[in-house]
Amino acid sequence: MTTQTNENNIIIQANDLSIYYGSFRAVKNVNLGIQRNKITAIIGPSGCGKSTVLRAFNRMNDFVQSAHNDGKILFHGQDIYAPEVDPVQVRQMIGMVFQKPNPFPKSIYENIAWGARINGYKGNMDELVENTLQAAALWDEVKDNLKKSALALSGGQQQRLCIARALAVKPEIILMDEPCSALDPIATLKIEDLMRELSVKYSIIIVTHNMQQAARASDLTAFFTMDEDRAGLMVEYGETSQIFTRPKDKRTEDYITGRFG
Amino acid sequence: MISDPFAATEHNRVASGLSRRHRTGKIWQAIFFSATVIGLVALVALLWTVLDKSFSYVAIEYKVDPATLSSKPLQELTNAELVNLLEANLSKNRFRTLDRKQTLTERTHADLLTLIYDNIVEPRALASYSMSQWIASSQEIRAEVAEKYPDAKLEFRAWINGDFLIDPLSGDPLLVGVRTALMGSLFLILITIAVAFPVGVGSAIYLEEYADKNKWYNRIIQTNIDNLAGVPSIVYGILGLAIFVRTLAPLTSGALFGNADANGRTILSAGLTMALLILPVLIINSQEAIRAVPNSLRQASYGLGATKWQTIWNHVLPQALPGILTGTILAVSRAIGETAPLIIVGAATFITSDPTGPFSKFTALPIQIYNWTTRPQEVYRNIAAAGILVLLISLLTLNAAAILLRNRFSRQHA
Amino acid sequence: MPRDTLTRQIHHLLDEVLLLGSMVEQATLSAVDILRQRDLKAAATLYENDQLINDKRFAIENAILILIATQQPMAHDLRLLAATLEIITELERMGDYAKGIAKVTLQLKDADINIPNRDLERMASQAVNMLHRGLSAFVNEDPNEASAIAGEDAVVDDLYNHIYHHLVETMIANPATIDQYNQVMWVAHNLERMADRVTNICERTVFIATGDMLEMDTTDDEESDGE
Repeated sequence: MTTQTNENNIIIQANDLSIYYGSFRAVKNVNLGIQRNKITAIIGPSGCGKSTVLRAFNRMNDFVQSAHNDGKILFHGQDIYAPEVDPVQVRQMIGMVFQKPNPFPKSIYENIAWGARINGYKGNMDELVENTLQAAALWDEVKDNLKKSALALSGGQQQRLCIARALAVKPEIILMDEPCSALDPIATLKIEDLMRELSVKYSIIIVTHNMQQAARASDLTAFFTMDEDRAGLMVEYGETSQIFTRPKDKRTEDYITGRFG
Repeated sequence: MISDPFAATEHNRVASGLSRRHRTGKIWQAIFFSATVIGLVALVALLWTVLDKSFSYVAIEYKVDPATLSSKPLQELTNAELVNLLEANLSKNRFRTLDRKQTLTERTHADLLTLIYDNIVEPRALASYSMSQWIASSQEIRAEVAEKYPDAKLEFRAWINGDFLIDPLSGDPLLVGVRTALMGSLFLILITIAVAFPVGVGSAIYLEEYADKNKWYNRIIQTNIDNLAGVPSIVYGILGLAIFVRTLAPLTSGALFGNADANGRTILSAGLTMALLILPVLIINSQEAIRAVPNSLRQASYGLGATKWQTIWNHVLPQALPGILTGTILAVSRAIGETAPLIIVGAATFITSDPTGPFSKFTALPIQIYNWTTRPQEVYRNIAAAGILVLLISLLTLNAAAILLRNRFSRQHA
Repeated sequence: MPRDTLTRQIHHLLDEVLLLGSMVEQATLSAVDILRQRDLKAAATLYENDQLINDKRFAIENAILILIATQQPMAHDLRLLAATLEIITELERMGDYAKGIAKVTLQLKDADINIPNRDLERMASQAVNMLHRGLSAFVNEDPNEASAIAGEDAVVDDLYNHIYHHLVETMIANPATIDQYNQVMWVAHNLERMADRVTNICERTVFIATGDMLEMDTTDDEESDGE
């Protein structure tokens, strides 16, 4: 298992992470160090546990009643599953964008402001809304309609709004769970460009089943697959350029070239 | 040209069965349409009966014909003239008794008119003929009335009118009103909503958002609620009688709050019983509404670092509220029309004082309607019909208000 | 197994590359043979026929571009197609060498000089043999065979040095023939370069199989190629 050796630049690290649903082990022994200010893609066939791992990074698995973990996830050296850690705090620092755009059924403005407000933001809200919408490359399209319902936006705009909403909470890491699977190709490319811009300030982890997207948009790629016992495991992790041209593992090669299964 | 061996069969495959399918479709359409028509006819028949009975021709016999009392119609007389009329036609004692109760010269015009009707005119309804009867055979009715009640006058009367709404209950069918019952019903519903809504929505939130559905006790609670929704209302009445009227009498009678000479048969007991009755339906409907809120919304909220309560309060409830309100409307509509449990927890059938607080004795519209329909006199059919109209109208008003409220919420969250 | 379409099209592509390779082999052997016979007519035909090799190369290149655009190959498939693009360029250049030899034949006409035909034919057959086996190794993705073939380049280099010295000595002895012998020198040079390009093909073969680029071409000059 390759992990990047640049230890100082690791922002979040999974150590021997296994995730269980009840007695079923969904993911086993993952060692994955996510680098700061990079876009890391997690790819793999359906059921390989890539979304499960992503959700483990901000404790979204807590909402699945039977889910529990072995191993550690270290964020700034602190295990986020330690008993004294508040999962709500973890989710503020590690934001998430979901598969289907899911803006709140409120105005565009309120969508951004709500998260900041519940997290105790005291500054100028108008400014925050404008800045985050700018950062999400949405400001020019919506600046005259901030009071309009977010549901009136197109799918791509909604997804960028969801990204802006996540930014407003000032996270360090943004998790993206197949953020473009419900979007058309042009909207997809816009999101990918946006991810590139955001990676200057944030670290991004994206789960995608679109290999071309991982190849286009990410710096590093982790390939997951299923073992015979149906548990997901990480097969290979490395620079995206290497994974897509010279994968080291036969299973990666078969998946990348489309000769899986 | 070479004939294509497939052409013929293909044609048959395309065309065969089409007319048969269309025919089947038409038959089903007709069946569903007639189902709708049957329902519609039933509804129209109901409305027609009620409206027909609410207006009728009544044979009224006066002790003293109001026309002989004064040259002008009584309504046009001044207060002073009315007092004079009373003095002229009543015995001195009777007049003094009335004056002592409340000084006659200080009474309202309407009050004075009522006094004159009650004490001097003393009308009696002898027979009543609904509008449809009248239209079908007005001549025969005139002849019959002239023969049977030579002293009676045949008058048109709209049973549902302003006086009917604002008059209290009365033993005299011509003077009876529904104010007491209407107030009782409204008071009752208010208590019911105030108790059932928060408890019902709260239970629904617990069961949907907090309860671990794999735990045996949560499953038992859920199963019980589902079953309770089907329990007959009379059972709730018995329950209310045992718990609220008897066991909790000190509380429901108001004895604890210094309300002497009262028993547990109060409007509070009835309201609590009604709340109990609609609670299962309310919980189930609220659960449905909460369950219909897409999970993606909750995840979005959690993903921003919101707590469970922030998520429920800011996103789940506002989104579910239209559905919850719809469920509440349905449940409250049921409560408004319920009679059986009220009878059991002891609603009064005859009471002339309006309810003044939760510890009052009370009556309710359905109780009165039920009561009126059991009376032998023909005129009470008319009064019952008018009562039903009042009940229907208040129900529709309540629903309209709730629907407006719901639409406002849906628009906000569209 | 999925991707049957891509796999089938890649096989078809490799057949075309082998066809192109055999055209080049044929042209090289013919060129040296024609020089020995001084058959000017055949030389002119050979010179013209280089166009067929060029056409074939462009057809294959186009097919590869279409495959990349439509099938989005990754990893091994991508390396194979990228390498094939390189390899057909190498083959086309080898075709140019054969064409260059034909041109020398045309320019020498029936000049009375002593051409080392036997040595040139040995060089040619050695280079063609390397090319043939090199393409087989490419199609079979055999990195070991490819490395071995690349090592044989030394044999051609030795032959070239032998001819070079022989020609230099001849020119010194008879300066009036420098011009003609210089032409013959080009023939040897072209054959030597051809073997170098076979080592390039072998490098690509190793790359396809392992993903690593190894420098096998021991000659340090990557000079532009004269015709």
